[in-house]
Amino acid sequence: MILEVNKLRKEVSSGESKLVILDDVSFNLLEGQSLAITGPSGSGKSTLLGLLAGLDTATSGEIYLNGEALHELDEEQRALLRKEKVGFVFQSFELLPSLTALENVMLPSELKAEDEPEERAKYFLDRVGLNERKHHYPNQLSGGEQQRVAIARAFACSAKILFADEPTGNLDPKNGEIVSDLLFEVNSETDNALVVVTHDHDLADRCDKKINLKLGKIVE
Amino acid sequence: MLFNLSFKIFQRELRSGYLTSMLVSLVLAITIVSGISLFTDRLEKALSAETEEFLGGNLKFESNQNTAKSKIQRQDFQDIDFMEMVLFASVIFSEEEMQLSSVKAVDNAYPLIGELELKDKSGKFLSKESPELGTVWMDARLQNLLNLSYGDKIFLGDSEFIFAATILYEPDRASGNFAFAPKTIMNFEDVDSTNIIQPGSRVEYNYLFKGPEDEIVNVRNYLETIKENGDDIEVLSEDSSSLGRTIDRSENFFLLGGLIAVLLSACTVGIASQRFTRRHVSYVAMLKTLGMKTTQIRTMYFLLFLFMTFLTLLFGLILGWTLQSQFINLMSSYFPTELPSPGYYPILITCLTVLICQFGFIYPHITKLITISPMRVLKDDVSFDYGFIPVLLMGLAAFFLLLYLYTNQLTLSLIIFFGVIGFSALGIGSIYLLLGKNKTGLGASSPILLALSELRRRKFGNSFQIFAFTIAIGLTLITFSASQNLLGSWQTSIPEDSPNNFAINITPQDKENMQSFLQENDIKSKPFYPVTNAIIFKKDEQNEDDKIDRNFNITWIEELPEQNDILKGEWFDKNLNNGISVSDDISERYKLEIGDEVFIKVGEEVIKSYVQSTRTVNWDNFSPNFFIIGHPSLFKDISSTYITSFYIPSDKQYLAADLMREFRTVSVFSIEELIEQIKEIIEQVTQALNSILLLTSLSALFLAFSALQDGFSVRKHQSAVLRTLGASNSLIKQSTLFEFTLLGLISGTLGALVAYAGIYFIETRVFETTASFYPEISIMGPLLGIIVVSSLCYYLISGITRQSPKKLLMQ
Repeated sequence: MILEVNKLRKEVSSGESKLVILDDVSFNLLEGQSLAITGPSGSGKSTLLGLLAGLDTATSGEIYLNGEALHELDEEQRALLRKEKVGFVFQSFELLPSLTALENVMLPSELKAEDEPEERAKYFLDRVGLNERKHHYPNQLSGGEQQRVAIARAFACSAKILFADEPTGNLDPKNGEIVSDLLFEVNSETDNALVVVTHDHDLADRCDKKINLKLGKIVE
Repeated sequence: MLFNLSFKIFQRELRSGYLTSMLVSLVLAITIVSGISLFTDRLEKALSAETEEFLGGNLKFESNQNTAKSKIQRQDFQDIDFMEMVLFASVIFSEEEMQLSSVKAVDNAYPLIGELELKDKSGKFLSKESPELGTVWMDARLQNLLNLSYGDKIFLGDSEFIFAATILYEPDRASGNFAFAPKTIMNFEDVDSTNIIQPGSRVEYNYLFKGPEDEIVNVRNYLETIKENGDDIEVLSEDSSSLGRTIDRSENFFLLGGLIAVLLSACTVGIASQRFTRRHVSYVAMLKTLGMKTTQIRTMYFLLFLFMTFLTLLFGLILGWTLQSQFINLMSSYFPTELPSPGYYPILITCLTVLICQFGFIYPHITKLITISPMRVLKDDVSFDYGFIPVLLMGLAAFFLLLYLYTNQLTLSLIIFFGVIGFSALGIGSIYLLLGKNKTGLGASSPILLALSELRRRKFGNSFQIFAFTIAIGLTLITFSASQNLLGSWQTSIPEDSPNNFAINITPQDKENMQSFLQENDIKSKPFYPVTNAIIFKKDEQNEDDKIDRNFNITWIEELPEQNDILKGEWFDKNLNNGISVSDDISERYKLEIGDEVFIKVGEEVIKSYVQSTRTVNWDNFSPNFFIIGHPSLFKDISSTYITSFYIPSDKQYLAADLMREFRTVSVFSIEELIEQIKEIIEQVTQALNSILLLTSLSALFLAFSALQDGFSVRKHQSAVLRTLGASNSLIKQSTLFEFTLLGLISGTLGALVAYAGIYFIETRVFETTASFYPEISIMGPLLGIIVVSSLCYYLISGITRQSPKKLLMQ
């Protein structure tokens, strides 16, 4: 089991009252499986993704990621877990504007102090078809190209599980298709699990499992 | 509509806290500028009144003859008050004792300015009148020496007088060459009856004038036409007392502190404006999309900054007024009466400063902001040209204007301006050279590699930050050193054991006995200098035109006196044909060059010599100092008296009276009161200096903080991405700390260099002293840079790492 979630709850303070973002969320995911999290805006999809990836902490409940109790780890331990086992693709790409495409992809390997990060980054940039543009900065690339760099970066970190938050949300249909093809193609070449938050039904339909959130609860 | 919208944005900006650094900087600058200019304005007015009182009028004419009075009276000067006094030294007898006294006989217009504080058997009282006929007032020292009670008789020449009151304070303390001896004041109309003044008597006539400035100029012009050799004209601005210089220098320091605070605040405002502009790009694009015209948007922002100006001026002026009140309170004991109200100039200069800051550092950003394309609403990546060059040029122009506004000297402003630009170019150049080219990758595997990579990658941004830190550190160090320089020079000028008594008229017969007396009583004295009165002729002693129009007390010695430094030529040497040494100011005033032939007339004897050297003299060292010093070989046939100064500790004050009793012809006068007064002023000014130093440091801290905060908005996103990818908080913190420690070190080192250059100019040009070297600056600069920058950086990066990366990415 790569991911196990039990009775997850997330509350935030809103003035004097408390707002429940997620309530009683439980599911699991096996190695190599893909999962789509869908639901209307404000249903708690991105919050759930953040909790699963250890970017945020839950109010209660348990998350086991690759066997490790994420809910018991502090920020530094969660960072270590992310570095070793988690990859990300964001809707807004989140590339560092001061780094070239190549340098952005090198980042995970550099953080792990792996040998030859440049070679590894070049391989994944080539895999997403951007070898020719590796020395370009993000502002010199189109939205689709930036997302492809983000995918290369996510796979370059040899993660066990990849989290993608609306990966096609900022792209036109054509580029959206290219990006989702790439995401599943490269993922199939690895044994990674994939968790995708999306509004895109086509993308959701390509996943092995789907959960639909409504007002913070799983409805199907 | 625009007004309301603008006011709403202003309120929102205030609430958001984004404007805080800009507002606080402006308020701080206004506080310092208005506080200082209000204070110095009032201080100048008070000092002018004080100097008037010290002089006894707006103008004083000193003459050895009484012929001037009739000439002056024939001139019908409008709105001029005029008084006459005659000064001479005479022995006064009481029933039991006798004592040499400096006598001042004053007419009925006395005192022209201020009032006397007297004491009689009914107690202390103030007087604006001259003594009644047949009475005299004496200072406490003379009263004690003559053993007098109020109403006792004293004898002066052929007349007898009643001792009516003790003088506690007299306004015209600067009067006369006879002021060394204990003082007596009598009525001018009583002088004739004493028969003391006879043809050939050594007497000085003083004529004091009070009136409007332009009329005083007329009086002065007239006096120049009747002035004879030995006559002297004194006006207010020529006050060169230690106290005057102390206040002058501290005033210069206050203005310097003001300028530095303004420059620091201006830089902060510039940074804050840039941030403000970035934040408003989308907002302006949206307003344009909704159909708002460029002129309307311009007006809206103009109004917004107008609100800000009013708010900052309001708070700044209130705080400035409080600040100057604190300064005035500190120095209130020095000024016996309430200080005059300030004029409009301080408010004007404050408003002008704010205006220049607005136009130089805010307006260019707003002008660029309103050029943003409405397409920005649709496409985030529509570039926004910040127009670096025009913004920089406007900023530099404002920087120069502020410099000129505060220094009022074009050359000095140009020197500082190009100095700052030169150092910045040097700093930026060295950063580029030092860091070299970018290497591939971020080096995120270790904190040091990551820090070095960040330094290389952000060369331009870092250069700007280094510029801001350098300015902040350099200017703080300049302020610190300037205050140390002032305090140091004052403290060293008045060491604990600086002489507090002068003795003159020491005859050659008394010299050895007096030296023994001082030695026996363990009193340290300065050397005994022979002294005589002489007239100097340039070139031809027969030609009256070559006569230098004043008398000199000259001495002759072999050793160069302490705190005298040879400027040109050589000091006396037994292997040379020795001449005379002239002080630099006399050499300059009378155009006496090295090698010039001079004739020294002492009594009827004329000595031919030449100018062998010129020297600088420290007139503040409470030792006998001389304009002209000759070699002893020239004066071996000249008879003289001796002069010396010595320090009597407070527990041995009785020795002064003992000494005067034992050596009746010797005149001893105490300067203890003057030294105490100067020490007190220094203490009060020190507190004011420290307040300025504190406020300037605060401005520097704000600048450093703003520069850092600006850079950290970019780091927020990077840190979030790195942490999402698994970078630990400690990696982010350590690398950022290392990076900024290095930046602090570089800025601190450059700041120390800026300070060295700045201090050199300030000491030589503003304070008009010799430049000193402050070794502590080379340590303080880098240390200050490292501590301040890394502490601020730690505060900011901790704020970022405390937030979850998800939250940061969502921002």
